[in-house]
Amino acid sequence: AAMERFVDFTDRSQGRERLLRATQYTCMLLSYVIERKADKEELVLKLKQLEASMSSGRKMFRLGNTVHALVAARRTTQLPDVVPRVCLTASNLTRALYFVCDTVLWLKSVGLQPDIDAPKWRNWATKCYYFSLLMNLARDWYEVSWRLEHAVQKEKIKENSSWDKRNQELNCLKCDGLHGFFLLLFQILKNHPPLVLDMVKNLLVLPDLPVISALHEHALLTLDLWSGECQLCPRASAPSSFP
Amino acid sequence: MEPWVRFSAQSQARERLLRAAQYGCALAGAALQRNGASAEVVARVRQLEAHLSLGRKLLRLGGSADALEAAKRAIHLSDTVLRFCLTLSHLNRAMYLACDNVLWAGKAGLAPAVDQEKWSQRSFRYYLFALIVNLSRDAYEIRALMEREAGGQRAKGAEAGRQQQQRRRAEAGLQQLGLRLQLELRLLLRVLRGNPPLLLDVLKNACDLFIPLDKLGLYRSSPAFVGLCGLASSVLSILTILHPWLKLKP
Repeated sequence: AAMERFVDFTDRSQGRERLLRATQYTCMLLSYVIERKADKEELVLKLKQLEASMSSGRKMFRLGNTVHALVAARRTTQLPDVVPRVCLTASNLTRALYFVCDTVLWLKSVGLQPDIDAPKWRNWATKCYYFSLLMNLARDWYEVSWRLEHAVQKEKIKENSSWDKRNQELNCLKCDGLHGFFLLLFQILKNHPPLVLDMVKNLLVLPDLPVISALHEHALLTLDLWSGECQLCPRASAPSSFP
Repeated sequence: MEPWVRFSAQSQARERLLRAAQYGCALAGAALQRNGASAEVVARVRQLEAHLSLGRKLLRLGGSADALEAAKRAIHLSDTVLRFCLTLSHLNRAMYLACDNVLWAGKAGLAPAVDQEKWSQRSFRYYLFALIVNLSRDAYEIRALMEREAGGQRAKGAEAGRQQQQRRRAEAGLQQLGLRLQLELRLLLRVLRGNPPLLLDVLKNACDLFIPLDKLGLYRSSPAFVGLCGLASSVLSILTILHPWLKLKP
């Protein structure tokens, strides 16, 4: 059953890519840790070589993702709500740009176009990647905030309709203050797993230290394995009237 | 663009495309060399081909698990010959992929002590076995279909009588061998034309066969021919992904 799960997971394009990415960042982390120790130069060299070969193989597999991102962008231009529409379309368009930079870097690494300025293109690729993440976070923030607002409004209506004055006071206490806010937030996030996963994925971006990027990759891999294909679908518009 | 997204979302589809690109590079490299292109261009094409090959090896890591799962499933088939052929084919594929993983480890620098030649020969031997088993399965299917077709023909009335007369006449003189072969060939072509999945599988395996035959030194052909065979079999395989009804089942 474990083998079946593995096969199922890697059969999807994303799964295998995730595994390779996790291994690549683990190599990066290991080489960073071992570099400090003396007389381990050979091991460090091997790890660096392995990481380079994984990176190049992954880039090769990603060729053609530009089209994926453009198609996703076209789809998100049809969302009914303004904020998700703008955020997600911008995110997908920058993701397409990121894949273009990625393809150019692959052409250089393969030797087809040796006179490409790799640092410049890598710089651009990183900028596009971060911008697209930022847009995703903005959309997540918007989703959380309107749900929060909705939940608070619901609580207020319940308050207004209850006859018991004492209950009303208790309810007020519940809704007010930071404690109540966090309770509500937790409730919303508990009821919407895809949203949580998406936010966590976006927030786990702190790639400067190898430790953090390796942990980041392992966390993403675990999230993926647990959630299956938990994609965040573009939400319908927020309800304008309350029950 | 939507069809592309749906197509390449499958990991196998992309792998096939990369395989087609790899053999295309091999073919292009051989053609360019024969037509006297500059050494630099040929070197670049060869380098690209090497990168594609190494990248594909990386993506095939863990493919043995896939093949073993398929072999486990094939044991439950009802037909004995199919069960035997498919299980054996998947097991050989699993061994081929295991050797391939070892080769990758050697090429990526993880295990530099790996004898590339020896493991390469081993992996191609398993690949050749798998292809031979696949072709025997195809031959079995063709034989069964031909018998069914011939039997169906015999059930028909006047035409059967004519065929039988033809057959008796064919079984008579010295030209009997030629005539009999002609009849068999016509029957074979009819069967293959009526079964595109089987035809595609036969063509694919036949094209693939030349690759290990060349690498093992059993039937040396030009690198251009090997590249062409690889490209053809990759294209046929992509066709079966685009049109799933073309895939031979089980």
